[in-house]
Amino acid sequence: VAKLCVCDLLVAQCDVNCCCDPDCSEADFSLFTTCSVPVVTGDSRLCTQKAAVYSLDVEANPPERIFTLTDLVNPSVFCIHAANYKQALYFSPPEIPTAENFDQLLKEFGGATFSAEPDSWSIDTESQNPDANETYRYEYGVPIQTVDGFLRLPSPVVSSWCSDANPAGFLVNQATKCIRAVRVETCGSVEAVSMLFYINSSILAVKNEFVFQVNITVQSIVVQSLSGTRTLINESDVLRLPVPLDELCINIVLGVSYHITYTDTGEIIAAAASFVLGAINKAALSIQQSFEISFTQVNTTPVPLSGNPGYVVGLPLRAGFRPQGYPSLVKILFAALSTNRYSQLTIMQSTSNQDCLAAQGARTPILFGYNMVSGCKLRITAAMKCQPLSQTLLDLLKGQNFPEYVASFGNSQAQDVFEWVPVITHLHTAEQRIYNTFQSLCQIPVSLEIEVKWTKYGSLVNPQARIVNVTAAITTTTLKQLPSGRQRTIPVMSSVVFTDISSPAEPGYKAWPTINVKLPFDFFFPFV
Amino acid sequence: LSSVPLQMLFYINGIYYIFYFLATLAMIVYKSQVFSYPDDFLVPDLLLLFIMAVLEVLRLHLGSRGNLTEEEAPLGLSLALTVGSVGLSLYFLMWQSYVLRADVVLNTALLLTYGLQAVLKVIAIAAFV
Repeated sequence: VAKLCVCDLLVAQCDVNCCCDPDCSEADFSLFTTCSVPVVTGDSRLCTQKAAVYSLDVEANPPERIFTLTDLVNPSVFCIHAANYKQALYFSPPEIPTAENFDQLLKEFGGATFSAEPDSWSIDTESQNPDANETYRYEYGVPIQTVDGFLRLPSPVVSSWCSDANPAGFLVNQATKCIRAVRVETCGSVEAVSMLFYINSSILAVKNEFVFQVNITVQSIVVQSLSGTRTLINESDVLRLPVPLDELCINIVLGVSYHITYTDTGEIIAAAASFVLGAINKAALSIQQSFEISFTQVNTTPVPLSGNPGYVVGLPLRAGFRPQGYPSLVKILFAALSTNRYSQLTIMQSTSNQDCLAAQGARTPILFGYNMVSGCKLRITAAMKCQPLSQTLLDLLKGQNFPEYVASFGNSQAQDVFEWVPVITHLHTAEQRIYNTFQSLCQIPVSLEIEVKWTKYGSLVNPQARIVNVTAAITTTTLKQLPSGRQRTIPVMSSVVFTDISSPAEPGYKAWPTINVKLPFDFFFPFV
Repeated sequence: LSSVPLQMLFYINGIYYIFYFLATLAMIVYKSQVFSYPDDFLVPDLLLLFIMAVLEVLRLHLGSRGNLTEEEAPLGLSLALTVGSVGLSLYFLMWQSYVLRADVVLNTALLLTYGLQAVLKVIAIAAFV
């Protein structure tokens, strides 16, 4: 205790007003005013302990420091008389590693974290739980396992050359192209250009379980000739291996397309591969191979999703109709008819010549989050009748099958009625000059403004876009009868605007806060 | 003839032991809250305290019966159990994880009682034999 000094901060220099500093000389002590650290003791809870007491005797001339070593007695009944648990009161010096205890020290302290009580931490239960989940199903992005490793989808890594070490991820639709070096002389020995390489190992249906295996079946084989023409082969169950023929090598794999069918519990139940086989001649040094993989859920027809669940910016809006005569209750199947064959909402597409009537039929799908404006010019002659012109313009603006409902989420299924938002159509007529009632008023639609209101849905860290409201406003203008021979050009415009109407985030608690009760420090008040 | 001082000592011992048991248990709880008392050290201390309580009940019952019926066998057994109790008391005096001043006081008194009891038991056995 006599050697401890809390205020000795400067090395080899005297700290001001630090009476226990060994670097200070008698002359320094005489300049001090007080002692910043009067007593140095050990743990105050011990019954008897040594204490070093420092004080300044200011009456002497010059002032000098007095140092005494005394015994402090703790009067409390509950002072520690002896402690056999040594770590409680002292810092234990760490073990010096030697050849004998190195392994044990490495096991205890070699990890990323270690605690003072390594035996009582139940690390085993925590590491078992992820394993228990992983054996039962595949999750998004997890590599698909086969009997010997992973399902490979060769892809270019650093350069354009194919690397076979790229595993295919579950539910990750990929398409890659890469170059493989192959020559006619060695075409039989390069295994990556033969069909067998891609279908020989079976896929494990359930992760880490070798009991259930799914064989990869050959769905179709297309043979591509040297000039590029492709022919579908009828017998696609025969394995065609590369074989040199005259000066060519045929049955070289130019493309593989995997189709994996999965269930909603994350198991793979079927796998099919479609091949494109080709031929190379003596001059060829390398070929380009293309690979793709796609996933389909069992018993569903694949519909391209625009987000899962929220809309992803840049993906088209999904829309559809409700079949006539069905009440708005359970299980209404939306008809296959929709705005275009992918059931997307579309608007008119501007063309280079900007002539409305010539551009009929060219439509572009509305992409979520992208405000669009398109337009064209309509040339009106005197000979045009009002009603057919109005109808033509309406068809031009709205398209052939303007949908009635738009999906609120990117992955809304047709059966979920409440996830579809109706498209509300407004008609704005231009000012009507009522005072001149003799002229027949011809209203033609000249602009379509679609406003899509969307909100952020879900948690603050991962908000999902959800469409709340879709309004289509058609503005009409009065077409005055033209004197014969005159022409007029009017602009026709359509636009799409996306508005974010999210309300601010609200805090939410995952679980009720729990009360943590501990005995307070001074519970034994009268005794301590 | 039964030894009256021995019987009185048994009675006082019983009352004192109840107080001792409750006080030691309360102090162990206090120590576990105030000091760093990991489970590896807390469990043996508590276990030994409960074993000591069982031993004490058995010992006092046997000793009292032996003294009143003037038989040396139960008294002898009680003497043997006293040795065990002395050992446990020494543990709580010296080898506990935290020995507080109150622990020292309680255990010293208990050891004195045991010592006196042992002497009186030997005298009683000698008288009955």
